[in-house]
Amino acid sequence: MSGFLTLPGVIAENPLISEEFHRPTTKLFVWDCVTGSVDIGGIEFCLNRVILLLFLSMLLFIGLFFFAFRKPKVVPGKLQAVMEMGIEFIRQQVVIQMIGPEGMKFLPFLATLFFFIFLGNILEVIPGINFPVNSRVAFPMVLAIVSWVVYNYVGVKEQGLLGYLKSVLFPPGAPWPIYFLLTPIEFFTVIIVRPITLTLRLTANMFAGHLLLTLFFLGTATLLANVVTATFAVFSFALAVVLVGFEIFVAGLQAFIFSILTASYIAGAAHPEH
Amino acid sequence: MVTLISTIVLIAQEAEENDPSDLLPAIQELVWGAIAFAVLFFFMLKFVMPRLNQTLEARREKIQGEMERAEQARRQADQELAEYRSQLAGARDEGNRIIEEARQTAESMRRDMAAKAEQENQAVLARAQEEIRAERDRVFQELKGQVGELSLALAGRVVGESLDRERHSRIVDDYIEELATLGPSGDGRGSGQGSAGDGGEEPTRGSGTPEG
Repeated sequence: MSGFLTLPGVIAENPLISEEFHRPTTKLFVWDCVTGSVDIGGIEFCLNRVILLLFLSMLLFIGLFFFAFRKPKVVPGKLQAVMEMGIEFIRQQVVIQMIGPEGMKFLPFLATLFFFIFLGNILEVIPGINFPVNSRVAFPMVLAIVSWVVYNYVGVKEQGLLGYLKSVLFPPGAPWPIYFLLTPIEFFTVIIVRPITLTLRLTANMFAGHLLLTLFFLGTATLLANVVTATFAVFSFALAVVLVGFEIFVAGLQAFIFSILTASYIAGAAHPEH
Repeated sequence: MVTLISTIVLIAQEAEENDPSDLLPAIQELVWGAIAFAVLFFFMLKFVMPRLNQTLEARREKIQGEMERAEQARRQADQELAEYRSQLAGARDEGNRIIEEARQTAESMRRDMAAKAEQENQAVLARAQEEIRAERDRVFQELKGQVGELSLALAGRVVGESLDRERHSRIVDDYIEELATLGPSGDGRGSGQGSAGDGGEEPTRGSGTPEG
C-alpha cells in the first residue's frame, strides 16, 4: 500500500484489525476459569466471566433497589421514581393484566423475574461488558424451572392434585372424542414444553443477539483492514449501532415476555376456565 | 466506538471451532443461577416490597387526606358563603324592614301629629268660637239690658224733663256724659256692670221722679 491508499495509522497498527475474518463461534460463550476450581459435592465450582457477570447483575439489582428504597419517600427521588415505575409496570401490565388483583401475591416473584432477566440481558450492550448472562442456557433454565414449579404448585394448591390434573389433561369445553387427541397434547404442552420454550426463547434471543452484534463489530474490524473495503465498514458499523438499540429493546422485551408468560401460566393453573 | 473496541477485545480470545457442548448448561451455572435468583427474590420480598407498599400506602393516605381536607375546606367555604349570603339577605331584609318601619312610623307620626294639630285647631277654634259666642251673648244680653235700661232711663228723662228745656238738655248732656264714661270703660265687665248698675239706678230714680 502506498500514497492515499494507506490506512490511518491508528487503524493499520491495531493488532485486532486484520484481513482475516474472525468467525464468531460457540466459543464466544465459553469462558475459562479465572480462579482455581473447587469441588463441592461433585460439582466443579470456579469463577469465570459468566459467573462474575451474574454477580454483577445481582449487584446491580440489589444496588438499584437498595438505593431506591433505602429511605423511601412519599415524594420519590429520581431513582425511587424509576424503580417504582418498573414495579408498577409489572403490577399493571403483568399481574393485573394476566392474573387480576388476587394475583398480587405473585408480584415479588414476577418483579424479581423481570428485573433479574432484564439486568442480565442489558449487560449485552454495556460497553466493556458486552455479554448477556442469559445467553448461557443454565440461567433461563433455572428461571423456567422455578416458573414451572410455581405454576404447578399454584394449580395443585388451588384445585387439588386431581382437580389440577383433570383441568390440565381434560380442559373443559371439548367434545369427548377430541380428548384422545387433546389430552396428550395438553399434558405435553403444560408439563414439558412450557419450561423448555421459556428457556429456549430467552436463551436463543440473547444468544442470537450476541452473535449478531459480534458479527457486525467483527465484520466492521475486518472491513477496516483493507483500504478498498473500508468504505463499507461505515455501513456495517452503522448497522451494528442500530442493532445495539435493537438489543436494548430485545433485552426488555424478553424479560417482559418471560414474566408475562409465567403470569399467564399461573393464572391458567389457578383458574382453569380461563 | 468504545463499544466497538470492547467487543473486539472480548472476542479476541475466541477459538475458531464450534462445539455443541458449549451450549449445554454448566452445572455450576445452574447452582449459581438458583442461588442468585433465591437471593434476589428474598431481597425483593423482604426489603423492596414492604418498603414499596409502605410508601404507596403513605402516599395514598397523604393524597386521600389532602383530598379530604380540600373537600372539607371546600364544603366549609360553601357553607360560609351560603351563610354570608343568607346573612346579607337577612341584613338587606332587615334594612328594608327598618326603613319600612321608620317610614310607617314617620307616616303614622305625621298622621297623628296632623290629626292632633287638626284636633287642637278644632278645639281652639271651637273654644274661641264658644268664647266669642259666649262673650257675644253675654255682651248682647248686657247691652240688651243696658240699652233697655238706658232707653227707659232716657225715655223717662225725656218724658220727665220735657217741660224743662234747660233740664232736658242737661239730661241729654248727662246721657252723653254717661255714654262717654261707658264707652272707654266698655271692655271691663265690672265697670260696665257698675255703670249699668249706675245707669239702672238712675232711670229708677229718674223714672221715679216723674211719677213722684
